[in-house]
Amino acid sequence: MTAAPGDALASAALRLARRFHAGATLWCWSPVWPSHAEHIAVEFIHPVIVGKPALPAVALPANDAAARLRRSARTGDVFLAIGSGTDAGTADIIARAPAWGIEPIWLAHGNEPPGGTGACVVWLGPDAEAADVVCAYHLLWELTHVCFEHPGVLEVADQGSVCPACSDAGDLGEVQKATDGANANVIVAGRRQRVDLTLVGPCEAGELVMVHAGVAITKLAGAARG
Amino acid sequence: MAEATGFLYPFLDAAPDDPAALLGDLSRSAVEKWEVSVALRRTTVEDLEGDLAATADAMATLVAAGGRVLAFGNGGSAADAEAFVQSCASGPEPVPAVSLAADPAVLTALANDIGVDAIFARQIAAHGRSGDVAVAFSTSGGSSNVIAALDQARSAGLLTIGIVGYGGGALRTHVHHCLAVHSDSVHRIQEAQTAVASTLVGAVSRRLEERGP
Repeated sequence: MTAAPGDALASAALRLARRFHAGATLWCWSPVWPSHAEHIAVEFIHPVIVGKPALPAVALPANDAAARLRRSARTGDVFLAIGSGTDAGTADIIARAPAWGIEPIWLAHGNEPPGGTGACVVWLGPDAEAADVVCAYHLLWELTHVCFEHPGVLEVADQGSVCPACSDAGDLGEVQKATDGANANVIVAGRRQRVDLTLVGPCEAGELVMVHAGVAITKLAGAARG
Repeated sequence: MAEATGFLYPFLDAAPDDPAALLGDLSRSAVEKWEVSVALRRTTVEDLEGDLAATADAMATLVAAGGRVLAFGNGGSAADAEAFVQSCASGPEPVPAVSLAADPAVLTALANDIGVDAIFARQIAAHGRSGDVAVAFSTSGGSSNVIAALDQARSAGLLTIGIVGYGGGALRTHVHHCLAVHSDSVHRIQEAQTAVASTLVGAVSRRLEERGP
């Protein structure tokens, strides 16, 4: 029997409620079992309890999720991945999430997701069954609506981010197009910036860089776009 | 707090708008409901043991003779039908299956041109052959378009199976095999339906494997 992920679901629900409160859309992706993503989207769009507000949620198709998010997600949106904690496609999108300005939640079963991804993780354990996954997102939906009934918890100040190289302000950026020039267009927190590449050299499309004061100060390993 | 979910969270009525206190309450509530879900799934599958075996026997016999599964449902049950069809392909011996809830072009064409009551029945008329198996998912057991499709299926010679909540609802009398969950929570019912569906696919697949080629 899989243990109840109470604390993780509560944290994920509060994050999600705060994002919805600020205008987010929820993007759901379940690459191996796409029906989970559809089921979650319908829970939020068409609530089972009459009178609950309809909240914007989308089921991403199994293929092409990264490209759709890059094009269509807005700063402040939420990405909810459902699947194995070692799914490479999920890890790749979560690595890019700060550049696109979206917050990731990883509802994982089977293998445990690695630490330090920046995602809010709800891990159901190695023996989770399909019904456990369904129960987890039903509870996520329900707890999110409970948070809405406590408006005092919904407002939060922006925490910002910190550059690991200099402990000062730094932001993850995704290079838009390959370049060997001194500058590139880079997506930072969902907005395009002109960034100086003098310190990092030529870049491939999709490479992730740390941007500090308009300058890319380092590349992040293993992040070229497939 | 607002009235709509007050009955679900009576203990939150007095909770302040303090995130830490709220998180504690949410976590306790999630654990309680999780345990209710696990217990309902276990008792449902145990109580349905004989019905599941009879349903799996009938399905396996038809599938072995060339029959195909047609699965459908509305909303979350549409997603459950799609998951059922996908799991049909992933057992030790694959079960041929088609989801009638997967194609928005088909569903919106039928809903717009004929009406929502026709969205599954019309597809049963197109796909269904004698010896096929119609598997309906309905949390309420009262969806008129699901019942219309089951009636269409039965008259076309299909075996009809309902994976249903609220003890079977109105749908109960429209199927050969009714696998019913007894609960008054839509979400707990759907979770138990998922467990029932997984058990059924596994049982059919094992029977096909035992039969051999």
